[in-house]
Amino acid sequence: MRAWLTGGAAGIAIGIAVAVTAARWAGAVTQPVAFDHRKHTQDLKLDCALCHPNVAVGQHPGLPSVEICAMCHQTRLGTSSASAQVTGYVTSGRPLVFRKLFGLPPYVFFTHRRHVAIAKLPCADCHGDIALTTTPPRRPLVTITMNFCLHCHLKMHQSTDCIACHR
Amino acid sequence: MPRWGMVIDLDRCTGCAACEVACKSENNIATVRPDQADMGRAMSWMKVETKIEGDFPDTRLSFAPRPCMQCDNPPCVKVCPVSATYLSPEGIVGQIYPRCIGCRYCANACPYTAKYFNWFAPAWPDSERAHLDPDVSVRPRGVMEKCTFCDHRLQQAKENARAAGRPLRESDFQPACADACPTRAIVFGDLDNPAHRVSTLKNDPRATRLMESLGTEPKVYYLTQKA
Ligand code: HEC
Ligand code: HEC
Ligand code: HEC
Ligand code: HEC
Ligand code: HEC
Repeated sequence: MRAWLTGGAAGIAIGIAVAVTAARWAGAVTQPVAFDHRKHTQDLKLDCALCHPNVAVGQHPGLPSVEICAMCHQTRLGTSSASAQVTGYVTSGRPLVFRKLFGLPPYVFFTHRRHVAIAKLPCADCHGDIALTTTPPRRPLVTITMNFCLHCHLKMHQSTDCIACHR
Repeated sequence: MPRWGMVIDLDRCTGCAACEVACKSENNIATVRPDQADMGRAMSWMKVETKIEGDFPDTRLSFAPRPCMQCDNPPCVKVCPVSATYLSPEGIVGQIYPRCIGCRYCANACPYTAKYFNWFAPAWPDSERAHLDPDVSVRPRGVMEKCTFCDHRLQQAKENARAAGRPLRESDFQPACADACPTRAIVFGDLDNPAHRVSTLKNDPRATRLMESLGTEPKVYYLTQKA
Protein backbone atom coordinates (compact mmCIF):
# COMPACT_ATOMS: atom_id res chain seq x y z
CA MET A 1 0.00 0.00 0.00
CA ARG A 2 2.69 2.40 1.05
CA ALA A 3 4.81 1.39 -1.95
CA TRP A 4 1.84 2.07 -4.19
CA LEU A 5 1.37 5.49 -2.57
CA THR A 6 4.97 6.57 -3.03
CA GLY A 7 4.91 5.10 -6.51
CA GLY A 8 1.75 7.11 -7.22
CA ALA A 9 3.28 10.28 -5.86
CA ALA A 10 6.37 9.77 -7.99
CA GLY A 11 4.10 9.11 -10.97
CA ILE A 12 2.24 12.36 -10.36
CA ALA A 13 5.53 14.22 -9.98
CA ILE A 14 6.75 12.77 -13.28
CA GLY A 15 3.39 13.57 -14.85
CA ILE A 16 3.69 17.20 -13.73
CA ALA A 17 7.28 17.37 -14.96
CA VAL A 18 6.22 15.99 -18.35
CA ALA A 19 3.31 18.40 -18.52
CA VAL A 20 5.56 21.35 -17.67
CA THR A 21 8.13 20.26 -20.25
CA ALA A 22 5.39 19.76 -22.83
CA ALA A 23 4.03 23.24 -22.10
CA ARG A 24 7.50 24.67 -22.50
CA TRP A 25 8.08 22.83 -25.77
CA ALA A 26 4.77 24.11 -27.05
CA GLY A 27 6.19 27.63 -26.67
CA ALA A 28 9.38 26.79 -28.57
CA VAL A 29 9.79 28.29 -32.04
CA THR A 30 10.61 25.94 -34.89
CA GLN A 31 11.74 27.28 -38.26
CA PRO A 32 11.03 25.81 -41.70
CA VAL A 33 14.73 25.46 -42.56
CA ALA A 34 17.83 25.27 -40.38
CA PHE A 35 19.21 28.74 -41.14
CA ASP A 36 22.80 29.40 -40.12
CA HIS A 37 23.48 32.96 -38.92
CA ARG A 38 27.16 32.30 -38.29
CA LYS A 39 27.81 31.21 -41.87
CA HIS A 40 26.01 34.19 -43.41
CA THR A 41 27.04 36.95 -41.00
CA GLN A 42 30.57 35.84 -40.03
CA ASP A 43 31.91 33.78 -42.96
CA LEU A 44 30.06 35.60 -45.73
CA LYS A 45 30.04 38.94 -43.84
CA LEU A 46 26.51 39.82 -44.91
CA ASP A 47 24.93 42.91 -43.38
CA CYS A 48 22.02 42.30 -40.99
CA ALA A 49 19.90 44.75 -42.98
CA LEU A 50 20.11 42.55 -46.09
CA CYS A 51 17.73 40.08 -44.47
CA HIS A 52 16.15 42.35 -41.84
CA PRO A 53 15.50 45.31 -44.16
CA ASN A 54 13.70 47.73 -41.81
CA VAL A 55 16.09 47.41 -38.91
CA ALA A 56 17.39 50.99 -39.15
CA VAL A 57 14.30 52.67 -40.57
CA GLY A 58 11.25 51.15 -38.91
CA GLN A 59 9.68 49.68 -35.82
CA HIS A 60 9.98 46.06 -36.95
CA PRO A 61 13.11 44.81 -38.78
CA GLY A 62 11.19 42.08 -40.59
CA LEU A 63 12.22 38.53 -41.44
CA PRO A 64 13.52 37.57 -44.90
CA SER A 65 11.26 36.17 -47.60
CA VAL A 66 12.37 33.57 -50.11
CA GLU A 67 13.22 36.29 -52.66
CA ILE A 68 16.17 37.34 -50.50
CA CYS A 69 17.54 33.79 -50.29
CA ALA A 70 17.01 33.54 -54.07
CA MET A 71 19.72 36.14 -54.60
CA CYS A 72 22.26 33.36 -53.95
CA HIS A 73 20.50 30.02 -53.51
CA GLN A 74 19.37 29.48 -57.14
CA THR A 75 21.60 26.44 -57.24
CA ARG A 76 22.69 24.29 -54.34
CA LEU A 77 25.45 25.95 -52.29
CA GLY A 78 27.67 23.77 -50.10
CA THR A 79 26.80 20.22 -49.21
CA SER A 80 24.30 20.42 -46.36
CA SER A 81 20.75 19.14 -46.71
CA ALA A 82 19.46 22.43 -45.26
CA SER A 83 21.07 24.29 -48.13
CA ALA A 84 19.41 21.89 -50.60
CA GLN A 85 16.10 22.57 -48.87
CA VAL A 86 16.51 26.32 -49.43
CA THR A 87 17.22 25.77 -53.11
CA GLY A 88 14.07 23.64 -53.18
CA TYR A 89 12.02 26.56 -51.84
CA VAL A 90 13.68 28.97 -54.27
CA THR A 91 13.19 26.86 -57.42
CA SER A 92 9.65 25.71 -56.58
CA GLY A 93 8.53 29.19 -55.57
CA ARG A 94 6.93 27.82 -52.42
CA PRO A 95 6.63 30.54 -49.75
CA LEU A 96 9.27 30.34 -47.03
CA VAL A 97 7.88 31.85 -43.85
CA PHE A 98 10.14 32.27 -40.84
CA ARG A 99 8.55 32.58 -37.42
CA LYS A 100 9.11 35.41 -34.99
CA LEU A 101 11.26 34.59 -31.98
CA PHE A 102 11.51 37.82 -29.97
CA GLY A 103 8.27 39.56 -29.15
CA LEU A 104 6.62 42.18 -27.00
CA PRO A 105 3.04 42.40 -25.78
CA PRO A 106 0.84 44.65 -27.96
CA TYR A 107 0.70 47.39 -25.32
CA VAL A 108 4.43 48.11 -25.58
CA PHE A 109 5.82 50.67 -28.02
CA PHE A 110 9.33 49.90 -29.23
CA THR A 111 11.14 50.92 -32.39
CA HIS A 112 14.36 49.60 -33.86
CA ARG A 113 15.01 52.90 -35.61
CA ARG A 114 15.33 54.67 -32.26
CA HIS A 115 17.69 52.07 -30.81
CA VAL A 116 19.65 50.97 -33.88
CA ALA A 117 19.84 54.02 -36.15
CA ILE A 118 19.68 56.81 -33.56
CA ALA A 119 21.20 55.33 -30.38
CA LYS A 120 23.54 53.06 -32.40
CA LEU A 121 23.22 50.15 -29.98
CA PRO A 122 24.71 46.81 -31.02
CA CYS A 123 22.15 44.12 -31.83
CA ALA A 124 23.77 41.83 -29.27
CA ASP A 125 22.68 44.12 -26.40
CA CYS A 126 19.16 42.82 -26.85
CA HIS A 127 19.50 39.72 -29.00
CA GLY A 128 22.58 38.10 -27.48
CA ASP A 129 24.87 36.14 -29.78
CA ILE A 130 22.25 35.33 -32.39
CA ALA A 131 24.72 36.30 -35.12
CA LEU A 132 26.91 33.40 -34.00
CA THR A 133 24.21 30.72 -33.97
CA THR A 134 24.51 27.86 -36.45
CA THR A 135 20.92 26.66 -36.08
CA PRO A 136 17.81 28.76 -35.36
CA PRO A 137 17.36 29.25 -31.61
CA ARG A 138 14.13 27.77 -30.30
CA ARG A 139 13.69 30.44 -27.65
CA PRO A 140 14.97 34.01 -27.32
CA LEU A 141 18.63 34.18 -26.25
CA VAL A 142 17.74 37.16 -24.04
CA THR A 143 14.55 37.41 -22.00
CA ILE A 144 13.17 40.86 -22.68
CA THR A 145 11.20 42.12 -19.71
CA MET A 146 10.26 45.59 -18.54
CA ASN A 147 13.17 45.42 -16.10
CA PHE A 148 15.52 44.70 -18.98
CA CYS A 149 14.39 47.86 -20.82
CA LEU A 150 14.41 49.99 -17.67
CA HIS A 151 17.83 48.76 -16.57
CA CYS A 152 19.45 50.09 -19.73
CA HIS A 153 17.35 53.27 -19.79
CA LEU A 154 18.45 54.10 -16.25
CA LYS A 155 22.06 53.30 -17.05
CA MET A 156 22.00 55.47 -20.19
CA HIS A 157 19.91 58.27 -18.60
CA GLN A 158 16.93 57.68 -20.88
CA SER A 159 13.23 58.05 -20.25
CA THR A 160 11.57 55.85 -17.63
CA ASP A 161 8.20 57.53 -18.12
CA CYS A 162 5.47 54.87 -18.38
CA ILE A 163 3.82 56.37 -21.47
CA ALA A 164 7.09 56.44 -23.41
CA CYS A 165 6.87 52.65 -23.67
CA HIS A 166 3.22 51.92 -22.94
CA ARG A 167 0.46 52.75 -25.37
CA MET B 1 10.26 70.11 -20.45
CA PRO B 2 7.13 70.96 -22.47
CA ARG B 3 3.68 71.22 -20.85
CA TRP B 4 1.24 70.08 -23.51
CA GLY B 5 -2.10 71.83 -23.62
CA MET B 6 -5.02 72.69 -25.85
CA VAL B 7 -7.08 75.77 -26.62
CA ILE B 8 -10.52 75.28 -28.17
CA ASP B 9 -12.21 78.30 -29.72
CA LEU B 10 -15.92 77.67 -29.18
CA ASP B 11 -16.84 80.68 -31.33
CA ARG B 12 -15.26 78.84 -34.27
CA CYS B 13 -16.66 75.38 -33.51
CA THR B 14 -19.43 74.37 -35.91
CA GLY B 15 -20.23 71.13 -34.07
CA CYS B 16 -19.31 69.02 -37.11
CA ALA B 17 -17.82 66.30 -34.87
CA ALA B 18 -14.87 65.69 -37.19
CA CYS B 19 -12.68 65.71 -34.07
CA GLU B 20 -14.79 63.01 -32.49
CA VAL B 21 -14.60 60.76 -35.54
CA ALA B 22 -10.88 61.38 -36.04
CA CYS B 23 -10.23 60.51 -32.41
CA LYS B 24 -12.19 57.27 -32.58
CA SER B 25 -10.38 56.02 -35.62
CA GLU B 26 -6.95 57.22 -34.49
CA ASN B 27 -7.22 55.58 -31.10
CA ASN B 28 -9.02 52.32 -31.91
CA ILE B 29 -11.99 53.20 -29.76
CA ALA B 30 -14.33 50.24 -29.76
CA THR B 31 -17.96 50.66 -30.74
CA VAL B 32 -20.86 49.27 -28.75
CA ARG B 33 -24.34 48.14 -29.78
CA PRO B 34 -27.16 50.70 -29.63
CA ASP B 35 -28.77 49.01 -26.63
CA GLN B 36 -25.41 49.08 -24.84
CA ALA B 37 -24.98 52.75 -25.74
CA ASP B 38 -28.39 53.43 -24.21
CA MET B 39 -27.00 52.07 -20.96
CA GLY B 40 -24.18 54.63 -21.13
CA ARG B 41 -21.52 52.17 -22.21
CA ALA B 42 -20.33 54.06 -25.31
CA MET B 43 -16.80 55.45 -25.27
CA SER B 44 -15.72 58.72 -26.82
CA TRP B 45 -12.43 60.23 -25.68
CA MET B 46 -13.36 63.41 -27.53
CA LYS B 47 -17.02 64.28 -27.28
CA VAL B 48 -18.83 67.23 -28.82
CA GLU B 49 -21.48 68.40 -26.37
CA THR B 50 -24.45 70.24 -27.88
CA LYS B 51 -26.45 72.82 -25.99
CA ILE B 52 -29.71 74.37 -27.20
CA GLU B 53 -30.69 77.65 -25.55
CA GLY B 54 -33.84 79.74 -25.85
CA ASP B 55 -37.32 78.84 -27.05
CA PHE B 56 -38.35 78.16 -30.63
CA PRO B 57 -37.98 80.04 -32.92
CA ASP B 58 -35.44 82.06 -30.92
CA THR B 59 -33.00 79.22 -30.36
CA ARG B 60 -29.24 79.25 -30.29
CA LEU B 61 -27.07 76.18 -30.67
CA SER B 62 -23.70 75.96 -29.04
CA PHE B 63 -21.10 73.22 -29.03
CA ALA B 64 -18.22 72.21 -26.80
CA PRO B 65 -15.70 69.53 -27.80
CA ARG B 66 -14.58 67.80 -24.62
CA PRO B 67 -11.37 65.76 -24.49
CA CYS B 68 -9.65 64.82 -21.23
CA MET B 69 -8.70 68.10 -19.53
CA GLN B 70 -5.23 66.67 -18.68
CA CYS B 71 -5.41 68.37 -15.26
CA ASP B 72 -2.21 69.50 -13.59
CA ASN B 73 -3.88 68.43 -10.35
CA PRO B 74 -5.79 65.38 -11.57
CA PRO B 75 -8.39 63.94 -9.17
CA CYS B 76 -8.34 60.60 -11.01
CA VAL B 77 -4.67 60.04 -10.19
CA LYS B 78 -5.24 60.55 -6.47
CA VAL B 79 -7.77 57.75 -6.21
CA CYS B 80 -6.04 55.10 -8.33
CA PRO B 81 -5.10 52.30 -5.91
CA VAL B 82 -2.48 50.80 -8.25
CA SER B 83 -0.89 53.89 -9.88
CA ALA B 84 -2.17 52.85 -13.30
CA THR B 85 -3.02 56.47 -14.01
CA TYR B 86 -0.48 59.21 -13.35
CA LEU B 87 0.65 62.64 -14.50
CA SER B 88 3.60 62.38 -16.88
CA PRO B 89 6.46 64.89 -16.66
CA GLU B 90 5.15 66.54 -19.85
CA GLY B 91 1.72 67.01 -18.36
CA ILE B 92 -0.19 64.17 -20.02
CA VAL B 93 -2.39 62.07 -17.75
CA GLY B 94 -1.36 58.55 -18.74
CA GLN B 95 -3.34 55.36 -18.36
CA ILE B 96 -1.24 52.19 -18.25
CA TYR B 97 -3.64 49.53 -19.44
CA PRO B 98 -1.82 46.38 -18.27
CA ARG B 99 -1.56 47.94 -14.80
CA CYS B 100 -5.24 48.93 -14.56
CA ILE B 101 -7.46 46.66 -12.46
CA GLY B 102 -10.73 48.24 -13.64
CA CYS B 103 -11.97 49.42 -10.24
CA ARG B 104 -13.42 52.57 -11.87
CA TYR B 105 -12.55 54.83 -8.92
CA CYS B 106 -10.95 57.24 -11.40
CA ALA B 107 -14.08 57.42 -13.53
CA ASN B 108 -16.03 58.48 -10.45
CA ALA B 109 -13.41 60.97 -9.34
CA CYS B 110 -13.23 62.74 -12.70
CA PRO B 111 -15.51 65.80 -12.70
CA TYR B 112 -15.33 65.95 -16.51
CA THR B 113 -16.44 62.34 -17.11
CA ALA B 114 -13.42 61.91 -19.36
CA LYS B 115 -12.61 58.34 -18.34
CA TYR B 116 -14.29 55.37 -19.95
CA PHE B 117 -14.63 51.79 -18.84
CA ASN B 118 -14.46 48.87 -21.28
CA TRP B 119 -17.59 47.00 -20.34
CA PHE B 120 -17.26 44.57 -23.24
CA ALA B 121 -14.59 42.86 -25.27
CA PRO B 122 -13.62 45.42 -27.93
CA ALA B 123 -15.61 45.05 -31.15
CA TRP B 124 -15.92 46.85 -34.47
CA PRO B 125 -18.12 46.44 -37.51
CA ASP B 126 -16.35 44.19 -40.06
CA SER B 127 -15.80 47.11 -42.41
CA GLU B 128 -13.80 48.92 -39.71
CA ARG B 129 -11.52 46.15 -38.51
CA ALA B 130 -8.89 46.58 -41.21
CA HIS B 131 -8.50 50.24 -40.22
CA LEU B 132 -7.14 49.65 -36.72
CA ASP B 133 -4.20 51.89 -35.84
CA PRO B 134 -1.12 49.71 -35.20
CA ASP B 135 0.45 52.39 -32.99
CA VAL B 136 -2.29 52.25 -30.38
CA SER B 137 -3.07 49.07 -28.47
CA VAL B 138 -6.58 47.67 -28.38
CA ARG B 139 -7.78 47.82 -24.80
CA PRO B 140 -9.18 44.62 -23.37
CA ARG B 141 -12.44 44.33 -21.48
CA GLY B 142 -12.25 45.51 -17.87
CA VAL B 143 -9.83 48.43 -18.06
CA MET B 144 -10.32 52.19 -18.05
CA GLU B 145 -9.29 54.20 -21.05
CA LYS B 146 -8.94 57.89 -21.80
CA CYS B 147 -7.69 60.60 -24.12
CA THR B 148 -3.89 60.74 -24.13
CA PHE B 149 -3.43 63.84 -26.32
CA CYS B 150 -2.44 61.20 -28.93
CA ASP B 151 0.72 60.42 -27.00
CA HIS B 152 1.76 57.83 -29.62
CA ARG B 153 2.09 60.71 -32.08
CA LEU B 154 4.38 62.46 -29.61
CA GLN B 155 6.64 59.40 -29.44
CA GLN B 156 6.91 59.30 -33.22
CA ALA B 157 7.42 63.04 -33.49
CA LYS B 158 10.25 62.86 -30.97
CA GLU B 159 11.85 60.02 -32.87
CA ASN B 160 11.61 61.84 -36.20
CA ALA B 161 13.10 64.98 -34.66
CA ARG B 162 15.93 62.95 -33.10
CA ALA B 163 16.62 61.25 -36.43
CA ALA B 164 16.76 64.62 -38.17
CA GLY B 165 18.89 66.05 -35.35
CA ARG B 166 16.66 69.03 -34.64
CA PRO B 167 14.38 70.11 -31.78
CA LEU B 168 10.69 69.26 -31.76
CA ARG B 169 8.54 71.87 -33.56
CA GLU B 170 4.94 72.83 -32.88
CA SER B 171 3.72 71.27 -36.13
CA ASP B 172 5.52 67.97 -35.42
CA PHE B 173 3.08 66.93 -32.74
CA GLN B 174 -0.63 67.58 -33.19
CA PRO B 175 -3.32 65.24 -31.88
CA ALA B 176 -5.80 63.75 -34.36
CA CYS B 177 -8.66 66.03 -33.26
CA ALA B 178 -6.68 69.22 -33.88
CA ASP B 179 -5.51 67.84 -37.23
CA ALA B 180 -9.07 67.11 -38.29
CA CYS B 181 -10.75 70.35 -37.24
CA PRO B 182 -11.89 72.13 -40.44
CA THR B 183 -12.26 75.54 -38.77
CA ARG B 184 -9.00 75.26 -36.82
CA ALA B 185 -10.93 75.76 -33.60
CA ILE B 186 -8.63 73.30 -31.80
CA VAL B 187 -5.12 74.62 -31.23
CA PHE B 188 -2.51 72.42 -29.62
CA GLY B 189 1.02 72.91 -28.33
CA ASP B 190 3.34 73.59 -25.42
CA LEU B 191 1.68 76.01 -22.98
CA ASP B 192 5.06 77.15 -21.64
CA ASN B 193 6.72 77.76 -25.01
CA PRO B 194 6.23 81.35 -26.23
CA ALA B 195 6.71 80.17 -29.82
CA HIS B 196 3.59 77.99 -29.62
CA ARG B 197 0.21 79.61 -30.30
CA VAL B 198 -1.43 78.07 -27.23
CA SER B 199 0.89 79.97 -24.90
CA THR B 200 -0.59 83.30 -26.01
CA LEU B 201 -4.14 82.08 -26.70
CA LYS B 202 -4.49 80.80 -23.15
CA ASN B 203 -4.13 84.40 -21.92
CA ASP B 204 -6.82 85.68 -24.30
CA PRO B 205 -9.58 87.64 -22.49
CA ARG B 206 -12.07 85.10 -23.87
CA ALA B 207 -10.22 82.20 -22.23
CA THR B 208 -11.79 80.11 -19.51
CA ARG B 209 -11.41 76.60 -18.11
CA LEU B 210 -14.09 74.16 -17.06
CA MET B 211 -14.91 73.97 -13.34
CA GLU B 212 -11.85 75.98 -12.44
CA SER B 213 -13.09 76.35 -8.87
CA LEU B 214 -12.40 72.68 -8.21
CA GLY B 215 -8.68 73.38 -8.38
CA THR B 216 -8.03 70.68 -10.96
CA GLU B 217 -5.89 73.04 -13.09
CA PRO B 218 -7.03 71.72 -16.47
CA LYS B 219 -4.70 72.21 -19.44
CA VAL B 220 -7.57 72.51 -21.91
CA TYR B 221 -8.71 76.13 -22.32
CA TYR B 222 -11.89 77.32 -24.00
CA LEU B 223 -12.29 80.62 -25.82
CA THR B 224 -15.79 82.02 -25.86
CA GLN B 225 -17.40 85.41 -26.22
CA LYS B 226 -20.17 84.49 -23.77
CA ALA B 227 -18.93 83.20 -20.40
C1 HEC C 1 17.24 47.85 -27.49
C2 HEC C 1 17.01 46.48 -27.80
C3 HEC C 1 17.17 45.98 -29.24
C4 HEC C 1 18.22 46.21 -30.11
C5 HEC C 1 19.45 47.06 -29.89
C6 HEC C 1 17.91 45.47 -31.31
N1 HEC C 1 16.71 44.83 -31.16
FE1 HEC C 1 15.82 43.61 -32.53
N2 HEC C 1 14.20 43.36 -31.29
C7 HEC C 1 14.09 43.91 -30.03
C8 HEC C 1 12.79 43.60 -29.49
C9 HEC C 1 12.26 44.06 -28.14
C10 HEC C 1 12.12 42.85 -30.49
C11 HEC C 1 10.67 42.35 -30.46
C12 HEC C 1 9.87 43.50 -31.04
C13 HEC C 1 8.41 43.31 -31.23
O1 HEC C 1 7.93 42.19 -31.32
O2 HEC C 1 7.72 44.34 -31.34
C14 HEC C 1 13.04 42.70 -31.59
C15 HEC C 1 12.75 42.02 -32.76
C16 HEC C 1 13.68 41.82 -33.78
C17 HEC C 1 13.47 41.00 -34.96
C18 HEC C 1 12.21 40.21 -35.25
C19 HEC C 1 11.54 40.62 -36.51
C20 HEC C 1 10.50 41.69 -36.38
O3 HEC C 1 10.21 42.31 -37.43
O4 HEC C 1 9.95 41.93 -35.31
C21 HEC C 1 14.59 41.05 -35.72
C22 HEC C 1 14.86 40.35 -37.04
C23 HEC C 1 15.52 41.91 -35.04
N3 HEC C 1 14.94 42.38 -33.87
C24 HEC C 1 16.78 42.23 -35.52
C25 HEC C 1 17.63 43.15 -34.93
C26 HEC C 1 18.91 43.55 -35.51
C27 HEC C 1 19.48 43.03 -36.82
C28 HEC C 1 19.46 44.46 -34.65
C29 HEC C 1 20.77 45.23 -34.78
C30 HEC C 1 20.98 45.96 -36.00
C31 HEC C 1 18.53 44.61 -33.52
N4 HEC C 1 17.43 43.82 -33.74
C32 HEC C 1 18.73 45.44 -32.43
C33 HEC C 1 15.05 44.63 -29.35
C34 HEC C 1 16.24 45.10 -29.91
C1 HEC D 1 24.68 36.63 -50.34
C2 HEC D 1 24.37 35.28 -50.72
C3 HEC D 1 23.43 34.50 -49.80
C4 HEC D 1 22.16 34.83 -49.38
C5 HEC D 1 21.38 36.12 -49.67
C6 HEC D 1 21.67 33.72 -48.62
N1 HEC D 1 22.62 32.74 -48.55
FE1 HEC D 1 22.49 30.95 -47.60
N2 HEC D 1 24.33 30.46 -48.14
C7 HEC D 1 25.15 31.21 -48.98
C8 HEC D 1 26.36 30.47 -49.26
C9 HEC D 1 27.52 30.95 -50.15
C10 HEC D 1 26.24 29.25 -48.58
C11 HEC D 1 27.18 28.07 -48.60
C12 HEC D 1 28.23 28.19 -47.57
C13 HEC D 1 29.08 26.94 -47.52
O1 HEC D 1 28.55 25.89 -47.17
O2 HEC D 1 30.23 27.05 -47.86
C14 HEC D 1 24.98 29.28 -47.88
C15 HEC D 1 24.52 28.26 -47.06
C16 HEC D 1 23.25 28.20 -46.55
C17 HEC D 1 22.73 27.14 -45.75
C18 HEC D 1 23.48 25.90 -45.33
C19 HEC D 1 24.22 26.23 -44.07
C20 HEC D 1 25.13 25.14 -43.56
O3 HEC D 1 25.31 25.13 -42.35
O4 HEC D 1 25.66 24.38 -44.35
C21 HEC D 1 21.45 27.44 -45.43
C22 HEC D 1 20.48 26.62 -44.59
C23 HEC D 1 21.16 28.72 -46.00
N3 HEC D 1 22.28 29.16 -46.67
C24 HEC D 1 19.95 29.37 -45.87
C25 HEC D 1 19.69 30.62 -46.40
C26 HEC D 1 18.42 31.27 -46.29
C27 HEC D 1 17.19 30.69 -45.62
C28 HEC D 1 18.53 32.46 -46.93
C29 HEC D 1 17.47 33.53 -47.09
C30 HEC D 1 16.93 34.05 -45.85
C31 HEC D 1 19.90 32.58 -47.41
N4 HEC D 1 20.55 31.44 -47.07
C32 HEC D 1 20.40 33.68 -48.06
C33 HEC D 1 24.87 32.46 -49.47
C34 HEC D 1 23.70 33.17 -49.28
C1 HEC E 1 21.05 35.84 -45.01
C2 HEC E 1 19.99 36.35 -44.24
C3 HEC E 1 20.22 36.88 -42.82
C4 HEC E 1 21.21 37.73 -42.38
C5 HEC E 1 22.34 38.36 -43.17
C6 HEC E 1 20.94 37.96 -40.98
N1 HEC E 1 19.82 37.27 -40.59
FE1 HEC E 1 18.95 37.30 -38.79
N2 HEC E 1 17.53 35.98 -39.41
C7 HEC E 1 17.51 35.39 -40.66
C8 HEC E 1 16.52 34.33 -40.66
C9 HEC E 1 16.21 33.44 -41.86
C10 HEC E 1 15.96 34.29 -39.37
C11 HEC E 1 14.91 33.31 -38.83
C12 HEC E 1 15.59 32.00 -38.50
C13 HEC E 1 16.48 32.05 -37.31
O1 HEC E 1 16.06 32.46 -36.23
O2 HEC E 1 17.69 31.67 -37.45
C14 HEC E 1 16.61 35.34 -38.62
C15 HEC E 1 16.31 35.67 -37.30
C16 HEC E 1 16.95 36.67 -36.59
C17 HEC E 1 16.55 37.12 -35.27
C18 HEC E 1 15.37 36.61 -34.49
C19 HEC E 1 14.15 37.36 -35.03
C20 HEC E 1 12.87 37.11 -34.35
O3 HEC E 1 12.01 36.51 -34.97
O4 HEC E 1 12.69 37.53 -33.21
C21 HEC E 1 17.42 38.08 -34.90
C22 HEC E 1 17.39 38.86 -33.61
C23 HEC E 1 18.38 38.22 -35.96
N3 HEC E 1 18.04 37.38 -36.98
C24 HEC E 1 19.44 39.09 -35.89
C25 HEC E 1 20.36 39.22 -36.91
C26 HEC E 1 21.54 40.02 -36.79
C27 HEC E 1 21.95 40.80 -35.57
C28 HEC E 1 22.18 39.95 -37.99
C29 HEC E 1 23.49 40.63 -38.42
C30 HEC E 1 24.63 40.39 -37.56
C31 HEC E 1 21.39 39.09 -38.85
N4 HEC E 1 20.31 38.65 -38.15
C32 HEC E 1 21.70 38.78 -40.16
C33 HEC E 1 18.26 35.77 -41.74
C34 HEC E 1 19.35 36.60 -41.70
C1 HEC F 1 20.82 48.68 -24.35
C2 HEC F 1 20.08 49.83 -23.91
C3 HEC F 1 18.59 49.92 -24.16
C4 HEC F 1 17.65 48.94 -24.02
C5 HEC F 1 17.85 47.49 -23.59
C6 HEC F 1 16.39 49.54 -24.33
N1 HEC F 1 16.55 50.86 -24.67
FE1 HEC F 1 15.09 52.16 -25.21
N2 HEC F 1 16.45 53.60 -25.49
C7 HEC F 1 17.81 53.46 -25.33
C8 HEC F 1 18.47 54.71 -25.70
C9 HEC F 1 19.96 54.97 -25.66
C10 HEC F 1 17.44 55.60 -26.10
C11 HEC F 1 17.60 57.04 -26.59
C12 HEC F 1 17.73 57.06 -28.07
C13 HEC F 1 18.04 58.47 -28.54
O1 HEC F 1 19.20 58.83 -28.51
O2 HEC F 1 17.11 59.17 -28.92
C14 HEC F 1 16.20 54.87 -25.94
C15 HEC F 1 14.95 55.45 -26.20
C16 HEC F 1 13.75 54.78 -26.06
C17 HEC F 1 12.45 55.37 -26.24
C18 HEC F 1 12.16 56.83 -26.52
C19 HEC F 1 12.05 57.49 -25.19
C20 HEC F 1 11.78 58.97 -25.24
O3 HEC F 1 12.62 59.72 -24.73
O4 HEC F 1 10.77 59.36 -25.76
C21 HEC F 1 11.52 54.38 -26.04
C22 HEC F 1 10.02 54.50 -26.12
C23 HEC F 1 12.25 53.17 -25.72
N3 HEC F 1 13.58 53.44 -25.74
C24 HEC F 1 11.64 51.97 -25.43
C25 HEC F 1 12.33 50.82 -25.08
C26 HEC F 1 11.70 49.55 -24.78
C27 HEC F 1 10.20 49.29 -24.81
C28 HEC F 1 12.70 48.69 -24.46
C29 HEC F 1 12.58 47.22 -24.06
C30 HEC F 1 11.94 46.35 -25.00
C31 HEC F 1 13.95 49.41 -24.56
N4 HEC F 1 13.69 50.70 -24.93
C32 HEC F 1 15.19 48.85 -24.29
C33 HEC F 1 18.47 52.36 -24.85
C34 HEC F 1 17.89 51.13 -24.59
C1 HEC G 1 11.50 51.44 -21.08
C2 HEC G 1 10.21 50.95 -21.38
C3 HEC G 1 9.16 50.81 -20.28
C4 HEC G 1 8.80 51.77 -19.34
C5 HEC G 1 9.38 53.16 -19.13
C6 HEC G 1 7.72 51.19 -18.58
N1 HEC G 1 7.42 49.92 -19.05
FE1 HEC G 1 6.02 48.65 -18.31
N2 HEC G 1 6.55 47.23 -19.65
C7 HEC G 1 7.56 47.37 -20.58
C8 HEC G 1 7.69 46.13 -21.33
C9 HEC G 1 8.68 45.85 -22.44
C10 HEC G 1 6.72 45.24 -20.81
C11 HEC G 1 6.42 43.81 -21.27
C12 HEC G 1 7.21 42.88 -20.41
C13 HEC G 1 6.93 41.43 -20.66
O1 HEC G 1 6.45 41.07 -21.72
O2 HEC G 1 7.23 40.68 -19.75
C14 HEC G 1 6.02 45.97 -19.76
C15 HEC G 1 4.98 45.42 -18.98
C16 HEC G 1 4.29 46.13 -18.03
C17 HEC G 1 3.18 45.60 -17.26
C18 HEC G 1 2.60 44.22 -17.40
C19 HEC G 1 3.37 43.26 -16.56
C20 HEC G 1 2.77 41.89 -16.61
O3 HEC G 1 3.43 41.02 -16.03
O4 HEC G 1 1.72 41.69 -17.20
C21 HEC G 1 2.77 46.59 -16.40
C22 HEC G 1 1.64 46.50 -15.39
C23 HEC G 1 3.62 47.74 -16.64
N3 HEC G 1 4.53 47.43 -17.62
C24 HEC G 1 3.50 48.95 -15.95
C25 HEC G 1 4.36 50.02 -16.12
C26 HEC G 1 4.26 51.26 -15.35
C27 HEC G 1 3.21 51.56 -14.29
C28 HEC G 1 5.27 52.06 -15.79
C29 HEC G 1 5.66 53.47 -15.29
C30 HEC G 1 6.03 53.52 -13.89
C31 HEC G 1 5.98 51.34 -16.84
N4 HEC G 1 5.39 50.11 -17.00
C32 HEC G 1 7.07 51.85 -17.54
C33 HEC G 1 8.34 48.49 -20.80
C34 HEC G 1 8.29 49.66 -20.08
